[in-house]
Amino acid sequence: MELTTSQKDALTELINIGYGRAAGALSELTGYRVTLEVPRITMHRIEQITPLLAHLIEGEVASVNQIFSGPIAGNALLMLDEHAAAMLSRLLSDDDSMGNSLDANGREIITEVGNILLNACLGVFGNLLRVQVTFAVPRLEVNSAGRVLESIAVGGEELRYGLMIHTRFHLRASNVTGYMIIILGITSLDRMLRELEGWEMRQTT
Amino acid sequence: MKESASIVVPFSPAAENAVTRDVLAGWLQELAPSGIFTTDADLVIRSWNQWLVAHSGLAAEAVIGRPLREVFPDLIERRLDEHFVRALHGEISVLSTALHKYLLPFRGEAGGRMLQTARIAPLPDGHRIVGTITIIEDVTQRVGHAVILRRQHAHDRLLSEALELLLASEEPMTIAAQLFPRIAGPLKLDMFFNYVLAPDGRRLELNSAAGITAEVRKATATLELGEGFCGQVAVHRAPLVEARTHLDQRPVAEPARRLGLRAYAGFPLVIGDRLLGTLSFGTYEREEIDPDEIDVLAKLAQYVAIALDRADRDRTLREARQRLSAHAEELETRIAERTAKLHETILQLESFSYTIAHDLRAPIRSLTGFTEILLHDHAADVPEDAQALLRRLSRASHRLDALTRDLLKFSRLSRQDVKLAPVELTELVEDIVAVTPALQGGVLTIEPPLGVVFAQRTLLQQCISNLFDNALKFAKPGVRPSILIRSELRPTAARGVTVLPGVLVRDAALGEASADARRRIWIEDNGIGIPPQAHEKIFGIFERIPGPVPIEGTGIGLAIVARAAEQMGGACGVESTPDEGSRFWLEFAPADKPAGVSS
Repeated sequence: MELTTSQKDALTELINIGYGRAAGALSELTGYRVTLEVPRITMHRIEQITPLLAHLIEGEVASVNQIFSGPIAGNALLMLDEHAAAMLSRLLSDDDSMGNSLDANGREIITEVGNILLNACLGVFGNLLRVQVTFAVPRLEVNSAGRVLESIAVGGEELRYGLMIHTRFHLRASNVTGYMIIILGITSLDRMLRELEGWEMRQTT
Repeated sequence: MKESASIVVPFSPAAENAVTRDVLAGWLQELAPSGIFTTDADLVIRSWNQWLVAHSGLAAEAVIGRPLREVFPDLIERRLDEHFVRALHGEISVLSTALHKYLLPFRGEAGGRMLQTARIAPLPDGHRIVGTITIIEDVTQRVGHAVILRRQHAHDRLLSEALELLLASEEPMTIAAQLFPRIAGPLKLDMFFNYVLAPDGRRLELNSAAGITAEVRKATATLELGEGFCGQVAVHRAPLVEARTHLDQRPVAEPARRLGLRAYAGFPLVIGDRLLGTLSFGTYEREEIDPDEIDVLAKLAQYVAIALDRADRDRTLREARQRLSAHAEELETRIAERTAKLHETILQLESFSYTIAHDLRAPIRSLTGFTEILLHDHAADVPEDAQALLRRLSRASHRLDALTRDLLKFSRLSRQDVKLAPVELTELVEDIVAVTPALQGGVLTIEPPLGVVFAQRTLLQQCISNLFDNALKFAKPGVRPSILIRSELRPTAARGVTVLPGVLVRDAALGEASADARRRIWIEDNGIGIPPQAHEKIFGIFERIPGPVPIEGTGIGLAIVARAAEQMGGACGVESTPDEGSRFWLEFAPADKPAGVSS
């Protein structure tokens, strides 16, 4: 299953709205101008994502995982390599004494950032697509990308897809790259794409 | 226990659920180790657990039923109330300590504000969101520990960097000056003094410093032991740490007050029980230096002490080496001077003896000639006893002539250039035998082949003749002399103690052998032999061994042999047993090296 160009465009626009809200929240929180960029959205079968991520991220991955449920249900993850995560937490907290690895404070910051981002995106989905989404508490895990996805892939019998949203944080003259991955079952994906079409129709009319 | 466990109380599922819910609610209310409160959809506080009562100082009755924003107005200022609004729309928020410090303003254990992490979530009843639930955790201790850990980590890194610098430094004396810029920032220090103990051990001399004015540097260039805080540190050999010195009126704080320091820490630099100096740090801004920083500085002081000790050892070693090489140089110069002087003396002596021998010959010849004439032509005119005197005079004058001739030969040896060429030894010996009747008639046995050596024919002939003469001269009285000449090829040059140039008195191998093959010519006799104590002497000029029978001779023969052998790049020596005979040898480079003898 492939996304059409127009579906991609619509998704990018939708997520950009969510990221705009998240960037606003982060800027306000930290006092620095934070911008979030979505350079690319791709869709893959869930089992294809691990090798793809292994290619993009070396070593340990800090991932914030938030389960959502409702008419569109699934898993949303923000994944950053550990150094990028440490750097992001350092930049956001303005605490230069933080090391190159994530300590408890850094983990909390990344959890909160993931939470803001995921809430913003899924909230936008909910609001604009007119579906009610409820969230579980976000969970941070530092592990290899394979392990993180493995724990998510278990269960669900239906075909599952991942929307991979390349994400770039810009702040304090630096940028940090991460990946937001929204994993949906085929039913939810189908529902989302239909809602997306409806939304597009409403936009154009 | 078993009995009570076996009691089965029948519950309906609904009742069971209700009990579970109530128990859980009770536990959350009374015992949970976190703060938990709920609001309704209008954000009016509906529950407030015991933990919150204990930590906020607000009783449940004081908050329940009141709007959250009214109880905690700073939620609005900090725009955190939005999270509650969003929770009503289904969103969950996590708030980190690092970004928010706290959700609700409570007092912490240490008197400061309690650091919190919080989760704000929708409170669903079935599919409907009826309010919010918030969970607050106290992370003050955790953050405190993290800060301490991070400081420790930073300090460890600082120390390991310092150690690295220390190990890499080629100038240990400047180690404190090299270290200070690195630690000044992280440890928030403004100045340091590094004193070293003067060689007399009675004063401290400023080795390096930073963060002080030129005047202060000048004024503190030397300190008496006990003077100022560094002097105190040196005398007591113990760290001295003072805080808030600007408020301290005691005399001990006076030097720091004068410099405008607010806090300082001084450490003795000690290796074993040896005081090397002091290292002290200070700050113009901070009121005190923290204990963990003092620990770091104490360690740095140890490092600096090690570095200074190293510098000290290096310097001592360098000086010792310099002294040694200066001494060696001086010795060499002295030896060269003496050798030159000796050479000059030898030259003068040789020239002198040559002149004497040469100039003496003419009058000696006249003496000999006229004595002969007197004896032949006027024997009849002189009385018998006078004739006897004349004969003695004649013999003496002949001996004098022989002596001067030999002296002249000896002197010439050192004046002439020697050109070496292969010399056939058997042929040479046969020539000598032909002109020496005393060797004929079976006295000399030649053991051929004698081989070929590099030598100068006339000089070599002289050497061998002299050795034959010697063998004949020192024959045992009443025993017919028997002389053997033979030669052998030796793989290495003879080594031994050289008493005269070119003369080896002992040919025992002493140390490493050289690779040169040599031909050794042996001349063995059955004469009176030479006592061992004389072996060294006989090759000297005018050296004669006192024997039982006085023997005619000039005493120069063996000296000529030794000198000639040396001139030809050879050597000579002797092995002898008194009463059995002597074995003289000459050694030269072979001109007929057979295969198998490596050169």
